[in-house]
Amino acid sequence: MVKNIVLINASPKIKEQSSSKDLLDMAGNQLDPNTYNKTFIDVRKSISGPKLSEAFATLSKADVIIISFPLYVFCLPGILTRFLQDYYKYYTENSTARDKVKVKVYAIVNCGFPEPEINLEAVRVIRSFSQHINAEFRFGVLIGGGPMILAAKDAPFMKKTIQQLRAAFSSIAEDIPQEQITKHDHIYLGLKFPFSKRLFYFFGGRGWVTLARKNGLQKTDLYKKPYRLNE
Amino acid sequence: MKALLILDKEFQTQTFRSLKDVLEKFLHTKGFETELIEVGADNLTYCMGCFGCWIKKPGECVINDLMSQINNSIMNSDMVIYLTPIIFGQFSANIKNTIDRNIPNILPFFETKPDGSTTHPPRYKTYPKQVIIGYGDELSEEDKQLFMDVTNKHRRNIEVLIDQGTTENLLAALNKIEFGKVGL
Repeated sequence: MVKNIVLINASPKIKEQSSSKDLLDMAGNQLDPNTYNKTFIDVRKSISGPKLSEAFATLSKADVIIISFPLYVFCLPGILTRFLQDYYKYYTENSTARDKVKVKVYAIVNCGFPEPEINLEAVRVIRSFSQHINAEFRFGVLIGGGPMILAAKDAPFMKKTIQQLRAAFSSIAEDIPQEQITKHDHIYLGLKFPFSKRLFYFFGGRGWVTLARKNGLQKTDLYKKPYRLNE
Repeated sequence: MKALLILDKEFQTQTFRSLKDVLEKFLHTKGFETELIEVGADNLTYCMGCFGCWIKKPGECVINDLMSQINNSIMNSDMVIYLTPIIFGQFSANIKNTIDRNIPNILPFFETKPDGSTTHPPRYKTYPKQVIIGYGDELSEEDKQLFMDVTNKHRRNIEVLIDQGTTENLLAALNKIEFGKVGL
């Protein structure tokens, strides 16, 4: 029987380019469409209205769930928390969802900070969610500096990191058909600096100033203290 | 001194009501003037990752809802308490939305923490003391540990408590906390 794979993009962004979606697409491309029935869910588009029930019905039939999201304040974004919290309610009230067994769950978490380890607690939350829905959490792909890796993906110095990213997603693709459940460590993937961390901070900071200037602001405006004008 | 108590509109169980009651009495006894804000899906939407609070209207969220009032109240309080249900070892969705949308109160740049990891620098010189109190029925030890780690492993000067079911334990834990404004 063809396995249903549900790929969830939980980026809170509405219009802007989403690293979580790009990463999920990369992971999804490694899954053979002739072998699997792939369905994508966009949490932002599904979170309100009739699409939410549709998304939950799809999720309840999944054999494999892959969730990709950005780290927000060291954990899940609120919008994903809402989605999973409400899905758990659906799960407890829906026997079809509860009858589903041997569901595998994978997490792809990316943060703007260069250290991938910062994503670990978010992955643990996905593990807890998996336990609550009686699914088997397999492993996470923890990515540091996600937006920068993707922005510079064609640069020669990023070649090795991109290869490692593809290898990480291959690991998911290889793990999915395995009947035997064996322990699989999380995969950590951080920025490999061709320069110092201090320079990374410098370029990151300059990026914010450039974006602010496009909005008609000066560098000093970025430091405004609207709630304590006298400080 | 002013305290801000942030509550979730959902999961207002018997445990929630008892904790709220204990907290209000505790804050009153300590001489705090307390402001209560209840957050829910009807008055607080999700962060949309636009970074407008850093590059369009620095220090303020560009979404026009309750969050502007909350961020203003946070920065003008001496103490902020989040009372949150523990869901999958982290905050509930409504409380997480509130925490996500605190980011106008920090700067976009990077700096290194004492443990060597990266963080964003503070926007203000001082911040209110923050206390996060989690509650829930039949919580696993794994979820309780995760709830502590989510904050303690990554953020400084924030106290994390988990309801142990008795008023005495909670009051003892609260009494150990040093109040007053702190750095980030």
